[in-house]
Amino acid sequence: MGTELGKYKSCVSARSTNKEILKRSQDGGIVTQLFAYALEEGIIDGAIVAGPGDEPYRPRPFIATTVDELMSARGTKYNISPNVSWIKEATRSYGLDKVGIVGTPCQMQAVRKGQLYPFGWRDVDDKIALAIGIFCMENFPYQSIKQLVEDHAGVSMQSVKKMDIGKGKFWVYTERGATVQLPLKVTHKYEQPGCHVCLDYVANLADVSTGSVGSPDGWSTVFVRTKNGDDIWGKAIAAGCFETKPIDQVKPGLELVSKLANEKISKNQKTVEARATFGVNKALRNPYIKP
Amino acid sequence: MSKVVEISPTTRHEGHTKLVMKVNDEGIIERGDWVSITPVRGIEKLALGKTMDQVPKISSRVCGICPIAHTLAGVEAMEGSIRCEIPRDAKLLRIVLQCANRLHSHALHNILTLPDMYLPGTDTKINPFSPEEPVRSVAKRIQKLREIGQTIGEISGGEAIHPSNPRVGGMFKACTPRAVQKMYDLAKEGLPLAIEHMEFMIAVLRNYQNRDWSEVGGKQIPIPKDLGYHDQGCMAAHPMYASTNLDENPGWDPERWTDVRPWDWYMGEVEISLADPSYPIGGTTPVGSKANPQMEACTGVPLYDGCPVEVGPRARLVTFKNFDEKGTIGQQIARQMEYPDCFYTIMKALEEYNPSGKVVADYIPQGDGSLGWAANEAPRGCDVHLAKVKDGRVQYYELLVPTTWNFPTCSRALTGAPWQLAEVIMRGYDPCVSCATHMIVVDDDKRIVAQKLIQ
Repeated sequence: MGTELGKYKSCVSARSTNKEILKRSQDGGIVTQLFAYALEEGIIDGAIVAGPGDEPYRPRPFIATTVDELMSARGTKYNISPNVSWIKEATRSYGLDKVGIVGTPCQMQAVRKGQLYPFGWRDVDDKIALAIGIFCMENFPYQSIKQLVEDHAGVSMQSVKKMDIGKGKFWVYTERGATVQLPLKVTHKYEQPGCHVCLDYVANLADVSTGSVGSPDGWSTVFVRTKNGDDIWGKAIAAGCFETKPIDQVKPGLELVSKLANEKISKNQKTVEARATFGVNKALRNPYIKP
Repeated sequence: MSKVVEISPTTRHEGHTKLVMKVNDEGIIERGDWVSITPVRGIEKLALGKTMDQVPKISSRVCGICPIAHTLAGVEAMEGSIRCEIPRDAKLLRIVLQCANRLHSHALHNILTLPDMYLPGTDTKINPFSPEEPVRSVAKRIQKLREIGQTIGEISGGEAIHPSNPRVGGMFKACTPRAVQKMYDLAKEGLPLAIEHMEFMIAVLRNYQNRDWSEVGGKQIPIPKDLGYHDQGCMAAHPMYASTNLDENPGWDPERWTDVRPWDWYMGEVEISLADPSYPIGGTTPVGSKANPQMEACTGVPLYDGCPVEVGPRARLVTFKNFDEKGTIGQQIARQMEYPDCFYTIMKALEEYNPSGKVVADYIPQGDGSLGWAANEAPRGCDVHLAKVKDGRVQYYELLVPTTWNFPTCSRALTGAPWQLAEVIMRGYDPCVSCATHMIVVDDDKRIVAQKLIQ
């Protein structure tokens, strides 16, 4: 296809130089480090991130205005975090002028749509200062993740230190050092159905997008996409926030990212197309075409 | 021999109205009727049975210029009925929101009213859209004031148009220290602009007062010294914010309010016998047309102590600050004089506000059907909402909106003026006719005697 990775100015493998951030980060600590840098430099006044919720590994989006608060949001939670729900409030009772937001590809789409077609989004469009996208193959409802961890992996949610989907497996690491892996085949029926029509893997619409695939453990693959993203990324590099390696010098590199992106898009494209003939002489709606 | 002339529609105000005027041979108004012809939307009727949380959000949509007044009066009428005291910090945020809205509304009204006025010392009328100085910088200053007002309203109230933050029992969100600082900085930026603008507006208005004539449609129309004078009283519940039945000394009394039907107050059917095709722009209603203010009026006529009253900035200053000017220019001057107070009140409220304070009452009763009311001093005057809430649902809801009070008063104030200046008098009230239009009339025993279009 060739367009599966979206438009970007540069792509590197990177990780934060801050050891504190890396202690609990999912991969290279890119999101936390970039927001922390932007916050300290006044590029953003606050960032909408997925913080800890009422139950273990249930994310609760909130507006972080300090580095400490950003730190509490490290690590992937494999279930829904409605980050965009805070975007207007950030410009209201929080009084932010420059808002950062992190999100999955669909959430980046929402942000961009709101900027171009601000339906009930007065005074929000020009206040989005940094949108960081994370790669996303699919997401799960909280009940799904709970069932996968507690029933399939046999681990209590409280004891989980990290979850990871990589190398064809769903991995659960516990605080006491155990590791459980599940084949991805087991997880499929728990996926959120809405993810099956998603045609974006590497957050094509973000300023900067990042994810684990393509880079070694502890490192992230980073796409710098927009002029704004390039500007901030360049400054952060100059400030010594990141170690980087050219993406063509790391394994497995962009080839794997492309392969997975293509797989996601072609699988989901088929689902989108199947909706057109879902019924007998009638279709299900396709949001990508005019009604 | 008097003739009848009609200006329909009127312009440079919110909503849809017309002026039906009996004039003498010199074109001086003997009796004028200013009539709302905005369709009735029946907010009060459709509120019945809905939840007390929902109804203020609906009544906000009565008007997009002063939605703050309707939201706050609606919410506080509910709180008045269920007897809910809100936390102090919620009240402070509401006050900030109220002042921010008044600020933007007055500035907007300047745009509407300036085209009637002259650049002092010249015979040039002010066109706010002109790219030329000195008007250009005035227009920019007005826009800046409005931007500041709307931004402060957006932060404290959640949204500048139809505020989302107020709720029964307080506010949904407290403002963070950063948000408070932002509002404070904006107020500090706006205050000198507001003072400068107030002085400019007062100079323009004084200049109009000293003129002998105003040009309308190519003709020189004499300006009477008593332009817009009337003998009705004034009514105001509070100099800045509001009063409710929960106050120790309420600023308004439901016992003193009655309504009459428009057909008790307005003229019956008349035929237009005078027309002026040169009246800008498009002329007046052609000769031979029929008008019937009694039947066409889409508002009730609320009375206070049995009389129509004037509400608005002048009424507030008369009631609370012994302001002694009358008429159209008096009203306009009073409106400009409210600018600095908006900023001072915002700053004072923000200084007192505690960002970590509680903004929702711990306990929100569901109501036993008792009457509650709130009289919010909207930009255009006293906006009274009355409500009865039982088990969380609205059983009775009534809106007595500023321009509803002003309709009959302004009609009387037309007398004695050349008909070509009738719109100038009307604009002195800053009419908001969508707000005014409702149609439930109660008699002395508070029984509903007329309901139009909304059955």
